[in-house]
Amino acid sequence: MSEVIVITSGKGGVGKTTTTANVGTGLAQLNKKVVLIDTDIGLRNLDVVMGLENRIVYNLVDVVEGNCRIKQALIKDKKYPNLFLLPSAQTRDKTSVNPEQMKKLVDELKEEYDYILLDCPAGIEQGFKNAIAGADRAIIVTTPEVSAIRDADRIIGLLEANDIKDTKLIVNRLRMDMVKRGDMMSIEDVQEILAIDLIGAVPDDEQIVIATNQGEPLVGSNSLAGQAYMNICHRIMGEDIPLLDLEGKNGVWTKFKGLFKKN
Amino acid sequence: MEQPVIIKSSPHGIRLLLDPEIPFEQLKQEIMKKFKDSGKIFKNARVALSFEGRSLDPDEQQQVLETITENTGIEVVCVMDDDAGYEAFCEQRIKQMDDMRAGRTGEFYRGTLRSGQCVECETSLIVLGDVNPGAKIIARGNIVVLGSLRGNAYAGASGNDNAFIAALDMDPLLLKIGNTYGRSSDRGAYFAMKNRRKTMEPQIATAHEDQIMIEPITQGLLNNI
Repeated sequence: MSEVIVITSGKGGVGKTTTTANVGTGLAQLNKKVVLIDTDIGLRNLDVVMGLENRIVYNLVDVVEGNCRIKQALIKDKKYPNLFLLPSAQTRDKTSVNPEQMKKLVDELKEEYDYILLDCPAGIEQGFKNAIAGADRAIIVTTPEVSAIRDADRIIGLLEANDIKDTKLIVNRLRMDMVKRGDMMSIEDVQEILAIDLIGAVPDDEQIVIATNQGEPLVGSNSLAGQAYMNICHRIMGEDIPLLDLEGKNGVWTKFKGLFKKN
Repeated sequence: MEQPVIIKSSPHGIRLLLDPEIPFEQLKQEIMKKFKDSGKIFKNARVALSFEGRSLDPDEQQQVLETITENTGIEVVCVMDDDAGYEAFCEQRIKQMDDMRAGRTGEFYRGTLRSGQCVECETSLIVLGDVNPGAKIIARGNIVVLGSLRGNAYAGASGNDNAFIAALDMDPLLLKIGNTYGRSSDRGAYFAMKNRRKTMEPQIATAHEDQIMIEPITQGLLNNI
């Protein structure tokens, strides 16, 4: 049984691409056959975060226009042979593809892969409509900021209007120290407004920046963010995993901080 | 006069052109005939009525009115003398009637209204869910939100200042009742939300002298609405 999941947010810069890269890699680590599709035509990023930029020959638009077969455009991951990327075109724009074409493409991929993750562009225009066209379910990424939450709320409404009822929430870049001080919205605050199920919370972790720069998703690593992403993968597969303790009693960071507290 | 009774319509009502000569009883018969023939056109219409060509005493007027309402679905809202302020008066009167109706009947909306979504209705509106920031609800009558009202709500949208807005959790960005606006305080969105949580209780908003008042819902208050 294969599933098509769109990862979307409305607002830009909240971590859609990072989430797609990490969740995709995580699912591949759990032995699933996975394709990541970058639908952000003209502003492609997912290949960079995955560290596969140097392997791109064909892209999404080539496939849709029939310049190549799907197989030719799919890039195999460096580490995981069951993980593939269908990169976006950089020299074209969102109007190069329409929702019907996306749906057809995704339906074709469904036959061979367990998970198809669609990295959605920011905004609610053509690119968004393309990205959600073939999706069975959606993961909404938001940060605990009112602007991101407003946009997420709008996106949830648009998804409902397009008959995508299964939407789950990732709260990204949480800073528990700020939440504790009351300076940042907590997971509960975010959920109170958006009123959809949480599928994961990812702490603000500098390891993410490093991993992104290196083009190596950190999912599954020992870092808090790496654990959080892996938990999300398990939950996507239907497992019931308790929420990670983001204050990180077992985390390296807390141990480190703990050293100072004792003094 | 070739025809003893002529019906003419104006934007908000009906003008009856009556023969000044024929006996009243015959005139009544003619009116009945006329309306039986054309009554379907005015089915369930609410109109203002005026007489021209013949002056009727109050008793005669009453008889004509009864003839019309008995033979058609027309509801005569008022009887007008000729001309002066006729249109304006009819319009206002009909609007008042519609406003009253809007306040007495309602529609349900099930589900949460999210940013960018908008519901408008010609009656009162009851939302079974939240109204999030960026969402808008507009009702000609009253508004009741069985959830959190965090977006914009316009009640009495046709200018009825007597409308009200009630919510289990009243935290709107902007309210409008009739012609009166009220907006939330200028605290940042998150801190406003945190602050509210301490005092959450069902509240009701009404318009008083160009200000929106928000108060806890009490029995006394409800009796006055």
